[in-house]
Amino acid sequence: MGLSQLATRALFRSTRLAAANPHHILRRAIVSTPELHNSEAAAAEAQPEPDLPKRTPVAGARVHFPNPDDAIEVFVDGYPVKIPKGMTVLQACEIAGVDIPRFCYHSRLSIAGNCRMCLVEVEKSPKPVASCAMPALPGMKIKTDTPLAKKAREGVMEFLLMNHPLDCPICDQGGECDLQDQSMAFGSDRGRFTEMKRSVVDKNLGPLVKTVMTRCIQCTRCVRFATEIAGVQDLGMLGRGSGEEIGTYVEKLMTSELSGNVIDICPVGALTSKPFAFKARNWELKGTESIDVTDAVGSNIRIDSRGPEVMRILPRLNEEINEEWISDKTRFFYDGLKRQRLNDPMIRGPDGRFKAVSWRDALAVVAEVIHQVKPEEIVGVAGKLSDAESMMALKDFLNKMGSNNIWCEGNGPNPNADLRSGYIMNTSISGLEKADVFLLVGTQPRVEAAMVNARIRKTVRATNARVGYIGPAADFNYDHEHLGTGPETLTELAEGRHPFSSALSNAKSPVVIVGAGIFQRKDKDAIFSVVETIAKNINAVRPDWNGLNVLLLNAAQAAALDLGLVPESDKSLESAKLVYLMGADDENLDKIPDDAFVVYQGHHGDRGVYRANVILPASTFTEKEGTYANTEGCAQTTVPAVPTVGDSRDDWKIIRALSEVAGVSLPYDTLNGIRSRISTVAPNLLHADEREPATFSTSSLRPEVKEKLDKATFTSAVENFYMTDSITRASKIMAQCSALLLKK
Amino acid sequence: MASTLKYVRVPPNSANLAEARRRVFEFFKTACRSIPTIMEIYNLDDVVTPSQLRSTISSEIRKNAHVTNTKVIDMLLFKGTEELSNIVEHAKQRHHILGQYVLGREHLTQDVGTKDQGTLDFLKNFYKSNYF
Repeated sequence: MGLSQLATRALFRSTRLAAANPHHILRRAIVSTPELHNSEAAAAEAQPEPDLPKRTPVAGARVHFPNPDDAIEVFVDGYPVKIPKGMTVLQACEIAGVDIPRFCYHSRLSIAGNCRMCLVEVEKSPKPVASCAMPALPGMKIKTDTPLAKKAREGVMEFLLMNHPLDCPICDQGGECDLQDQSMAFGSDRGRFTEMKRSVVDKNLGPLVKTVMTRCIQCTRCVRFATEIAGVQDLGMLGRGSGEEIGTYVEKLMTSELSGNVIDICPVGALTSKPFAFKARNWELKGTESIDVTDAVGSNIRIDSRGPEVMRILPRLNEEINEEWISDKTRFFYDGLKRQRLNDPMIRGPDGRFKAVSWRDALAVVAEVIHQVKPEEIVGVAGKLSDAESMMALKDFLNKMGSNNIWCEGNGPNPNADLRSGYIMNTSISGLEKADVFLLVGTQPRVEAAMVNARIRKTVRATNARVGYIGPAADFNYDHEHLGTGPETLTELAEGRHPFSSALSNAKSPVVIVGAGIFQRKDKDAIFSVVETIAKNINAVRPDWNGLNVLLLNAAQAAALDLGLVPESDKSLESAKLVYLMGADDENLDKIPDDAFVVYQGHHGDRGVYRANVILPASTFTEKEGTYANTEGCAQTTVPAVPTVGDSRDDWKIIRALSEVAGVSLPYDTLNGIRSRISTVAPNLLHADEREPATFSTSSLRPEVKEKLDKATFTSAVENFYMTDSITRASKIMAQCSALLLKK
Repeated sequence: MASTLKYVRVPPNSANLAEARRRVFEFFKTACRSIPTIMEIYNLDDVVTPSQLRSTISSEIRKNAHVTNTKVIDMLLFKGTEELSNIVEHAKQRHHILGQYVLGREHLTQDVGTKDQGTLDFLKNFYKSNYF
């Protein structure tokens, strides 16, 4: 079967998406197709002189005028552009459609201005100016293509290459290296350097980032990333002149959960991926645009694969969700996709050992058993990585068998699926930037959702927003106030007795984030009602602002609640005779009675397999097309990047086939069929890449909560950031990270 | 031209069915006599026994039991002899022997038979592969 088939599928999908919904592409991705530019950009382009060729902004760069009076006009190569005050010369050139070469400048980091590659000529200025650091002034005449500018770049390039090793053939950055590309475009054709090149000792930054410090050109992007975005003061610049080096000041590993991003922002091969070192070249990889399922954020990723193997994972730009960063777990768990995989259907024999059988036999056994037990003794548990399609199929199948005991792990024994606003992040991830006070209740976003944490940090850095935290002692990378550890602090806040209450009630746009770890507590409803009281007191929910949020933990949770995967009774697992685990490994398996028949459908030989009687091998998210809703309620789909392993099948197909063998055929046998079924239950799951806010956000519809608050303090929901699900637990790199980087 | 033709010995056609039958038995005996050599040159001792190979040969012959046309039998015999000489002369490699005569061709196509009859397309495709 072909990779080509996969490729055409992916292609078909993307074209279909583009045709169906041009608006969201315009809003979400930055593309340079001319017809997709919005009106603002078109307006900014002013009227070109007739003799000048029409130019389009670099990479679809757009301008936003906060105040129309602040617009100034500059001329780039004689071409007039209107830009807001305060933009730099480099940004003005981008709007004008001129790409200025640069190494140290990065649009999301502060300006350093130390590489000097972006030199341009400005009229009436005696010397070429560094465009990234120079503010554009009204009427400025910028020339990017003059002999002076070219010569300046050539000179800078020669200096940079003086001490840069000539090891491109063995460098992992080769082929996607800014220095390589720009030396071809702007460099001289010869060098005049005959002395010895300098060499720098490599630093050990841990198991993820490989350093070859001799290649470093001291752009300091990594230092600025670490201090500004990741919030760790680990990296810095040592020495001066030719002795200048990037390093950790003392022998120390980089302990940020975002450290992998320095690999992407490094313009040369100084910081590269350690697990990917010498594994592949970027031009032999096939990129597939997919999403991440290891947490509930749904970061947009590109899966680079070679043949049947996932070689690496890179972030994809999505301003609403992950900007252009991803967490280390997302970036490096991929080696878990190759280990501990279930290949064949298996049945546990009387001797307790698994024996590989054919699909026909395995399904026949399950179908036989399922007819022998009473309907109310059938229990289905969807795992934390399940896609919406398979959860829909599982629910339909079990309902047809007469059971309604089905839930998704992590949602707790008695989930509240009635009001969508009660389990999603209503503010939206990008909306967090507008907040001025945060209250984190029983959640540690740094380990539960690293990208949400990065967003909070961005807000705290930009606006000095205050952060109050209730929960066990935790590690934060921004200023926060630890208010307490348990529900009694919540009560104090609700009654206004706590010092932090005044900060909350004075806030214009307060944000309360409740962690999904609370779902597991007995007094969950009481906690939520106290939190709602707080939200009411501080006016957090109003028509123009909804600051009451739940931060989910797993990729499947939101979709499961959308689809109504709610168990009939919370004690059903204890009395079950047939348990259908669809990738569920973190449910308490000791609760399953000894005589129960356990079917494990999943892709990894993880905890669930130890208790299973029958194993049905399924495909991972890199091998199937599946819909996932993230914590803010944005539905996104994965795209198959690699073929399935062994004899495994897609999750929904297994359930569809099993239903037929069991004699209760489900009425759909294509992905589109199952999606039209989903559209009758949760239509929001079909609006891919679009955030669907909750329609109601009121708590008044809820019944009065009778139960009392428990005195027990909140616990941390995620013990080990690097190992949260079956794929990451199978990953060797994640095991190394847990051993070396976790704070003990 | 004539000198090369002299060495190619194509036996004359069998006159009747009895002669063809006798030739088949002769061929079977020749093949059985070469089994020890085959076992040795392809190093088959640990994967197969001589009697298994013998039954493979006979089943290959029995596959064509329904043929009554002497010309066709002669042609099949010729092909069999050619195959045998290829094997004995080590013109093949071990995996050819393993694939064709030790494992048989059955393992290549699984799930054949009457079990699928009556099931619908989805299940049939599902048993075959994940991609449909």
